[in-house]
Amino acid sequence: MATTVLPRPKAYDDTFFKPISIWLTTTDHKLIGIMYMVTAMISFVIGGIFALIIRLQLSQPNLRLVDDSTYNQLISAHGVTMIFFFVTIFVTGIANYMVPIMVGARDMAFPRVNLLGFWLIPVSIILYYCGFFTGHALDAGWTGYAPLTEKAYQSHSLGVDFWAMSIIVWAISGIMASTNFLTTIVALRAPGMRFSRLPLFVWAQISTSILLLVVGAPLAAAMILLEFDRQLGTQFFTTSGRPVLYQHLFWFFGHPEVYVMILPAFGMISEIVPVFARKPIFGYMSMVAALFGIVFLSMTVWAHHMFTVGMNTYVEGFFMLMTMLIAVPTGIKFFNWIATAWWGSIDFTVPIKFVFGFLATFLIGGITGIYLASVPVDTQLHQSYFVVAHLHYVLFGGSVFAIFAGIYYWFPKITGRLLNRTLGEWHFWTTFIGFNGTFLIMHTLGLEGMPRRIWTYSNEAWAATNIIITISSFLIAFSVLLFLINIVHSWNQGEIAGNDPWQGNTLEWATTSPPPPYNFERVPPVRSFMPVRDLRESGELIEEPPVVPALV
Amino acid sequence: MGRLGAASPGSTGSALLYFHLVTRSARALFTTLGFAALAIALSSCGVGGLSPIFPEPVSPNGQGIYNTYIGISIVAIIVFVGVEAALLWVVLRYRRSTQPAGYVPPQVHGHTGLEIAWTLAPLVIVLAIAGYSFAELQKDFQPISHSQMLVVVSGHQFGWDYEYENGVVVHQEGSLTAEVPAFVVPTNTLVKLQFRGTDVIHSWWVPAISGKTDAVPGYDNFSWLKIDKPGKWRGECAELCGTGHASMQIIVQAMDKSDFDAWMAKQKESGATPSGSPSPSPSK
Repeated sequence: MATTVLPRPKAYDDTFFKPISIWLTTTDHKLIGIMYMVTAMISFVIGGIFALIIRLQLSQPNLRLVDDSTYNQLISAHGVTMIFFFVTIFVTGIANYMVPIMVGARDMAFPRVNLLGFWLIPVSIILYYCGFFTGHALDAGWTGYAPLTEKAYQSHSLGVDFWAMSIIVWAISGIMASTNFLTTIVALRAPGMRFSRLPLFVWAQISTSILLLVVGAPLAAAMILLEFDRQLGTQFFTTSGRPVLYQHLFWFFGHPEVYVMILPAFGMISEIVPVFARKPIFGYMSMVAALFGIVFLSMTVWAHHMFTVGMNTYVEGFFMLMTMLIAVPTGIKFFNWIATAWWGSIDFTVPIKFVFGFLATFLIGGITGIYLASVPVDTQLHQSYFVVAHLHYVLFGGSVFAIFAGIYYWFPKITGRLLNRTLGEWHFWTTFIGFNGTFLIMHTLGLEGMPRRIWTYSNEAWAATNIIITISSFLIAFSVLLFLINIVHSWNQGEIAGNDPWQGNTLEWATTSPPPPYNFERVPPVRSFMPVRDLRESGELIEEPPVVPALV
Repeated sequence: MGRLGAASPGSTGSALLYFHLVTRSARALFTTLGFAALAIALSSCGVGGLSPIFPEPVSPNGQGIYNTYIGISIVAIIVFVGVEAALLWVVLRYRRSTQPAGYVPPQVHGHTGLEIAWTLAPLVIVLAIAGYSFAELQKDFQPISHSQMLVVVSGHQFGWDYEYENGVVVHQEGSLTAEVPAFVVPTNTLVKLQFRGTDVIHSWWVPAISGKTDAVPGYDNFSWLKIDKPGKWRGECAELCGTGHASMQIIVQAMDKSDFDAWMAKQKESGATPSGSPSPSPSK
C-alpha cells in the first residue's frame, strides 16, 4: 500500500504581507479574532488620548484648554470608545480566537456570520466618529440621556444620529456574535468535551452571550425610538413624553453590559490562576453556578442607576437588594480564586501579576459598589467623581487588568512568541501605580461634591487632588506606550514560545503556536476539564519541536 | 542545634526555610498594613481635599445618609483589609521561587463547607447592609406632608429658580465666575422642596445638606431640608444638561428667622416676580 504524503496546509506564516484580501475575506475565527483585538486596541489608544485631554482640562481650576462643547464631546467619545469599541470588542475577539480551540472545534459554527459580525464593528466605529467630521459629535455623555439628545436641544448636530446608528449596528453585531458563540459551544464540542468539562472561560462566554442576546435588543430599541423622536417627530422621550423611559431602556442594557465586559474577564482569571499556581480551579461547579447567578441578578438591577429620579421607595429597595446580592456570586468567585492560589506554587510571571493586580483592584470596585447600591448613600454619590472612580475600578481595574493578563497569557499561542518579560514587568508596575494614583483619590473628589461631567470648576479645594490624578493618568499613558512597544517588538522578534510555554490545562496548548487553520490535526482526547494536563501527566502529549513562526 | 540535629537534615532545612518564610511574609504584611493605616490616618485629617467622608451634614436627612455611609464603611473596611491581607499572604507565601525545587502543591478541587461558608457570609453581610439602608430610606426619603414651608425649585438650561409660597422668586442664573444669588431658607424650619425640570433633566445637589434630587420634565420630585445653623453651602447641578452644565452653581444660605423675614421683605420690595421661563403643565 503506497503511502501518500499530504502536503502540510498553508499556515498563516506567509499570508500577512501577501494578499490583503485574505484578511478582508477570511472566515477563520483566529484571523477574525486578531482583527477584533487589533481594532479594540486602536480604540483603546484613541479613547486614552481623549482621557488625557480631559485630564489636562481638569488638572487645575478654571482652565480653558478646550471649550465646554468640545469637552462634552470628548467625555462622550471617551465613554463610547472604551465601553463599546474597546473592552467589549476585545473580549469578543479573544473569545472568538480561543473558544473554538478550547472546545476542540475547527471554527465557529457560522463562519460567515462571524465575518459579517466583525466587519459591522468598523462600520459602527466609523459611523460614530462621523459625528466629529460633521462638526459636532454626541455631547450628552456615553449614556446620551433624553431629552438632552432630542431634536429640541440638539437640532444643530448630526452627532446624536450617528451615535444612535452606530449603537444599533453594534447591537446587531453583538447579537450575531452571541448566537455564534452559543451554537459553537453547544454543537461543536470535541468528543468527550461534556458541559461539565468545559473550561471556565468557555462557561463565561456562554453566560456573556446569553446576557448580550437578552439585552442587545432593548438597547437597539432605545436608539430606534430616539431616532423616531428626532426624525419622525414622535414624543417617546421628549420633554412632553417620558424621559425616564429612556433611562429604563438604556440601563436595562447598560448594567448587564458591565457584566458583558467583566464575565469574560472572570473567565480569563479562572483559566490563568490554576495554570500558574499548579493547582486545579477551586470549586469548579460553584464557579459555573456563580456565573449564572450573576447573569440572572444583573438583569434585575438596572434601576440602581436611577435612584435620584424619584421612584417609589419600595421599588428602590428592591433594586438595592438585588444589586447588593450580586456581591454573593462575585464573592464566591473571588474566594475560589484565592483558594485556588492558596497552597499553590505560583510562578510570578507577568500574566499572574496582572491577575493579582486585578484581584487587588477589582475588590475595591466591588466594595464601592455596595456603597453605591445603598439608596440613601447613592443619592450623595450618584453622578459624582466617586462613581467615576468606582466604574474605573471595575472596568479598568477589573476588565482591563484581566485583558492584559489574557494578552500576556495567550500572546505566545497567537503569535508563537513570548512577550518580553522585562518590558512586561515595567508595564505591570507602571499600570498598577498609575491606575491607583489616578482613581483611588478620585473617590474623595466625589465625596467633597465634585460632580462628574463638568468641564471646569472654580473650587480651589479640588485642585491638589486633580493635579495628582492628572499626573498619574500620564503614568498610565506611559505604561500603555511600553505595552505597545512590547507587542510590536515581541511580535517580530520575541523569544520563541513553543506549543505550551506555561504548561497549560486547556486544549489550545495541545496545538501549535500559532495554531494551523483547522486548529488540530487530531483533536486530543478529553477526560476532564483540564485535558492537556491529563495528557501531559499520562505522557500522551506529543511535544513537537517549536517552529520559528513568521509574522502572525 | 543539638535538638534540631536529632531530626533529619532535610526536614531541619525545610523547617528553617518555612520559619524564615513565615517571618519574612509576616513582616512584609505588617509593614504594608502599617503604611495603609498611615495613609488612612493622613487622609482622614482632610488635608488638601482628600477627605474620605462627606462634609459635615447640616440637615437631618444628610445626617442620616452620613450615618449610613459610616455604618457601611465599618463593614467595608473590615472586608477590604481581610481580603487584601489574604491576597498579600498568597502573593508573599506561595511563590514558586521560594519553594523547594519539584514542589507539587496539594491538588484540592474544592471544599463544599468552605464554599457554602463564603456564600453565606457575604449574603448575611449584604442583607444586613440592605436592611440598614432600607430603614434609612424609609425614615428620610418618604414624601413629607407636614412641612412649614414649600419652595418650588425648577431647573432650566442653565440655572435654578426658587419660588416661595408668597410668589417671591430667586433666580440663580448659572455662572462660572461670579457668585450666584443665594437660595435663602430660615434655620430650624422644615422646608419641602418641589423639583421640576423645564427643559432637560437636571439634578439638585448640595452635599452638606442631603443627596441629589433630579428635576425631570413632566413630573415633580420632592425632597426636604431642615438646617440647624446659619451659614452658606455650595452645590452644583449633577446631571449633564448641556454646555452650561458646569455653570449651574447652587448656593444655599440659612438665616435666623428674623434675618430671613428681613431678607424676604427686601425681596418683595425689589419686586422679584415669578420666572418668565415656561413651566410644564402640572402632571398631577
